Amino acid sequence: MAVEVAPAPGMRHTGDMPPILQVQSIDAAYGKVQILHGVSLDVYPGEVVSIIGPNGAGKSTVLKAIMGFLTPSAGEIIFDGGTITGLRTDLVVRRGIAYVPQGRIVFKDMSVVENLEMGAYAVSDKAQVRRTMEQVFQIFPRLGERPKQAAGTMSGGEQQMLAMGRALMVEPRVVLMDEPSLGLAPRFVELVFEKIGELKAGGMTLLLVEQNAVKSLSISDRGYVLELGRNRFTGPGDALLADERVRRLYLGG
Amino acid sequence: MGGSEARGWLPRRFYSVDAGLIGLASGVRRPLTGVWRLTPGVYRQASDMDVLQVVISGLLLGGVYALFAAGLNTIFGVMRVINLGHGELMMLGAYTTYYLYAEGGLNPLLTIPIAAAAMFGAGLVMQRFLVERVIGQPLLSSLLLTFGLSTLLQGLALNRFTADFRSVPYLSGSIDLFGLALSRSRLVAFGIALAVTGVTYYFLRSSRFGKAIRATSQQADVAQVCGIDVRRVRLATFALGAALAAIAGSLVAMIFSISPEMGRMFLGKAFAIIVLGGLGSFVGAFLGALMLGVAETLAAYFTTTQLAEGVPYAVLVLVLTLRPSGFFGVRE
Repeated sequence: MAVEVAPAPGMRHTGDMPPILQVQSIDAAYGKVQILHGVSLDVYPGEVVSIIGPNGAGKSTVLKAIMGFLTPSAGEIIFDGGTITGLRTDLVVRRGIAYVPQGRIVFKDMSVVENLEMGAYAVSDKAQVRRTMEQVFQIFPRLGERPKQAAGTMSGGEQQMLAMGRALMVEPRVVLMDEPSLGLAPRFVELVFEKIGELKAGGMTLLLVEQNAVKSLSISDRGYVLELGRNRFTGPGDALLADERVRRLYLGG
Repeated sequence: MGGSEARGWLPRRFYSVDAGLIGLASGVRRPLTGVWRLTPGVYRQASDMDVLQVVISGLLLGGVYALFAAGLNTIFGVMRVINLGHGELMMLGAYTTYYLYAEGGLNPLLTIPIAAAAMFGAGLVMQRFLVERVIGQPLLSSLLLTFGLSTLLQGLALNRFTADFRSVPYLSGSIDLFGLALSRSRLVAFGIALAVTGVTYYFLRSSRFGKAIRATSQQADVAQVCGIDVRRVRLATFALGAALAAIAGSLVAMIFSISPEMGRMFLGKAFAIIVLGGLGSFVGAFLGALMLGVAETLAAYFTTTQLAEGVPYAVLVLVLTLRPSGFFGVRE
């Protein structure tokens, strides 16, 4: 199990609420290569939690296992009190977990509005889709300024905003983001973290995987450090940032 | 102007399926013209009106090609499977029309929705129980599977329907339009093909499920995290593609002679069309189909039908060598 770098953090934000998302000692493999070895983590309602760690630590794989892109060979994933272990991806989404994939992937030949409509595919109430889209346009005004633009013609940063907006369209209870700042120009990196902060302020629960550990831990309530597919450290974001062992292992400090 | 003497054309089932091209390409003036032109190495002087007529005739044919290629292209886009059995779905559509007409006495136009529905159903079964199993597998798996299906269906057709050429002599003859003699069956087939292709295009562009198909085609993983059940999308896409192939088959049965082997030839044409238009581009494939229709018809007119049959393959080689992304496709 993970070494706690600071006293039990869960209580800090959540009162008596149980975790909304729990990953319980999962093993997962791509083909014959085992990536995750008994990884566990909890996410409480309203929290921002980061998963950090060196390349090949299995950070993205944890998110993929939650989303049902691969089925854990051992362990459980519990969402809102029920198991979602191995559940088909589109059904995981319908339960209330949204996912922003790595690499700002958008539907390139579709417009901004169409991309957002696709994000709301699981929502059948059209009035609700319109309302949510208005909210997304408030969070990301740039998207609202160019509703008809083909997504493929937008800049990388704009595409990342669109991918984030698309994930919000299902009105998720938890949003998973895989490397949201990867490969973006510096000003867009700032913007992405600013938006994550806004979402958090709005009460959204977020689970981030990030290369940019310093930035992501500084906006996170808690973090998990993975190494070679195993939990290493966990604790509040600022405590992890300050911890000597974490710095040596990962932050290069 | 030779075309004004048009008197209707004789089905020349003793040539290949494509032999009908000659009849039309030459404006069907003298019954002997077609035979005369089939002689290898014989070239003739053509008048401008003749050429215009040939071009229009090729465009009409291209519309039917477009319908056939659209299904193949959409299936590839969604599941990255090249359906080598697509031609046999067309062939079965053609025979559905033939038998309902020849033995059921049904108006050929009324057989079209029946053929489409039958192949839609067959497509559902094929996808659900066979093709779905090779999704995400190496390309070779799906190629072998669909090749096997193609061969099986062709064998069954040879066994059940015999190798005889059949035809549906409906709407034969031609009508005079601004001094051009245009085949009635081709005009009708083109109209239907255009309408069905147009409706399909509109469905993919504008409907919710159509957009889900396009989303799956662009990024299947992301489509899933939008809550789209991509297995259902694959099922519907394969069935839709099969229905389009069947409609194309019904239309072809009204234009050419049909046989159990017709599928392979049309598959070759569809590859040329898709390569011309760019893989995955619906509009590109449509334009590619019109171009191929014209190219083939012109080749048949100026040289021989046998040579014209090589046009799709020449197009394949040329385009893949000179411009592998096609002319309208998205750059990769």
